[in-house]
Amino acid sequence: MSKLLLIDDEKSIVRVLSISLRSDGHDVFTAYSGEEGLDVFRKESPDIVLTDIKMPGMGGIEVLKRVKDLDPDTEVIIITGHGDMHSAIEALQLGASDFINKPVRDEVLAITLKRAEERLLLRQKLREYTEDLENMVRIATEEVRRKSEFQDKLITSSNDGIVATDEKGEIIIFNPGAEKIFGYSRLEVIRKMNVRDLYPPEVAKDFQQRLKQGKIVKGTDWKEFMIPAKDGKIVPAGFSGALLYEKDMVVGSVGFFQDLREIKYLQQELIKSERLAAIGQTVTGLAHYIKNILSGLKGGSYVVNVGLDKNDTGKLKAGWAMVERNVGRVSELVLDLLTYSRERGSELQNCFPNEIAEDVCELMEVKASQNQVEIIREFAPSIGEVHMGADAVHRALLNLVSNSVDACVSDLSMDKEWQVRVKIAFESNEMLKFEVIDSGCGMSEETRKNLFTSFFSTKGGKGTGLGLLVTHKLVEEHGGTIDVTSQLGKGSAFIIRLPYSKADH
Amino acid sequence: MGNKVLVVDDDPDIITFVVTVLEENSYTPLVAKNGEEGMVKIAEERPDLIILDVLMPKQSGIKMYRELKGDESLKNIPVIILSGIAKRTFLRSQEALTEFGSQPVPEPDAYIEKPVEPEELVETIKKLIVE
Repeated sequence: MSKLLLIDDEKSIVRVLSISLRSDGHDVFTAYSGEEGLDVFRKESPDIVLTDIKMPGMGGIEVLKRVKDLDPDTEVIIITGHGDMHSAIEALQLGASDFINKPVRDEVLAITLKRAEERLLLRQKLREYTEDLENMVRIATEEVRRKSEFQDKLITSSNDGIVATDEKGEIIIFNPGAEKIFGYSRLEVIRKMNVRDLYPPEVAKDFQQRLKQGKIVKGTDWKEFMIPAKDGKIVPAGFSGALLYEKDMVVGSVGFFQDLREIKYLQQELIKSERLAAIGQTVTGLAHYIKNILSGLKGGSYVVNVGLDKNDTGKLKAGWAMVERNVGRVSELVLDLLTYSRERGSELQNCFPNEIAEDVCELMEVKASQNQVEIIREFAPSIGEVHMGADAVHRALLNLVSNSVDACVSDLSMDKEWQVRVKIAFESNEMLKFEVIDSGCGMSEETRKNLFTSFFSTKGGKGTGLGLLVTHKLVEEHGGTIDVTSQLGKGSAFIIRLPYSKADH
Repeated sequence: MGNKVLVVDDDPDIITFVVTVLEENSYTPLVAKNGEEGMVKIAEERPDLIILDVLMPKQSGIKMYRELKGDESLKNIPVIILSGIAKRTFLRSQEALTEFGSQPVPEPDAYIEKPVEPEELVETIKKLIVE
């Protein structure tokens, strides 16, 4: 039951009503004027105020205003004279909850009070719900804040660069790792740049396409890219990206970047030191080779001198041939060294691969037949004129065929038929396949592994160790590949695949 | 005609050169371009001295040298090793073969590393062929 304040200047009414209300179980305070009523109100804070409208001094409307000022939640019920609808409406406009007409009938009063009590209860509950809700929101907000702070810390402290975008590709997260790689500060990037301004073009394009398609895709595998940084430098980085989804809708993307500069630097250092070691080996090998040439030149000039002294044309010719041969070896060596050290691919031109191979075979024919080695030509006749690096093909084939003949000559096995087969065929519409297969001495796994990696010769003083290196370099520059299979004692097969295009006229 | 000297080398330049040096100094040159041919020439001609290369196809100079020194009737023919590889390397290869169970062989009578001066070659031959 409620705490009530009853205000009326007619004491008899106050008495009768208060008896009736108390008997209903209400806690009733009374006052006989507006002023007194407000005093009691301040002291007792009743839930419901019942006030007469017409009183000497402060009237009911004024009491209503003051009470609402003091506590807007208070239920104020106005008691009006019979037919005074005008005052009743004014009171309702000023926030009164209800009104009852004089003479006040018990049942009407009871219903009015009940309604007031219900409103009070409802308001109470609403307040409790609101407070609960506010509490819950506060707790949830706190939780969210903590989580997002934690994520912020994760992203900030990550060594990898993390770049996140919204669904349009606009950048919204750019961590210090990313600042280090891209060279931009986060203030320059966040909400100011799009992935297409920041990512390497191929990545940006791929990303934009996926964003547009909105297909569910897993993160991409790590791949290496060259990142164009702010200062114009190119930074090598590993990249993996993913689209972010919320209920099948793309809401953004995230890219992870790994700085590979340190690793690249170390790799280069390693290659450099390996190269230096290889150069050490080469210098020894080269010195040996040059010593042999020198031997030939000195010997040749000795024989020439003898021929001059004796007027012996035979000696002169033999000596001069020695000199010429060794001059030839010097120029071969210099050519190999230059090819190896130069960074330039061979020029493309119209040529007939079969004719090039035929020329190589003819060049090697003398040495081969002197050593009972047969050179077999298997050129696909359909190969006509094509556009490719003729010089590279010639040099590479010459090196391989010459090696194969050597492999046969230095084979110690008895009763073997030594053959070098030179095959050319189309591998595809844009690839030619050259094969040089010999039945010579073959090589060990160890030798095979070293073939293209360093200056490496198994021919004692008779090789520079440059031949295969040069071949490898030429083939690579030409965009081709070279493969080797070999079996010790049985022979080796070298396969070169080189791209070609149609001859242009 | 002077003493017979057999040159075993696979390099035609070396052969032309050594043959010329020998002719100039009144020796009779014989030629073989590998170990197999060399052994045949030795049996046919009984040379007074052999000039031998080490690295050759078919039959290496190392093998031929061991055959010569292991043959009672041939081991007294003086041998000059004329090679592009260092004397040290050659001797080590001989030691290695001995360690693997082959009969030990004496060191060559002379060892000349290429490139060789004609005078050095002639001096060495003169020292080794005792009339």
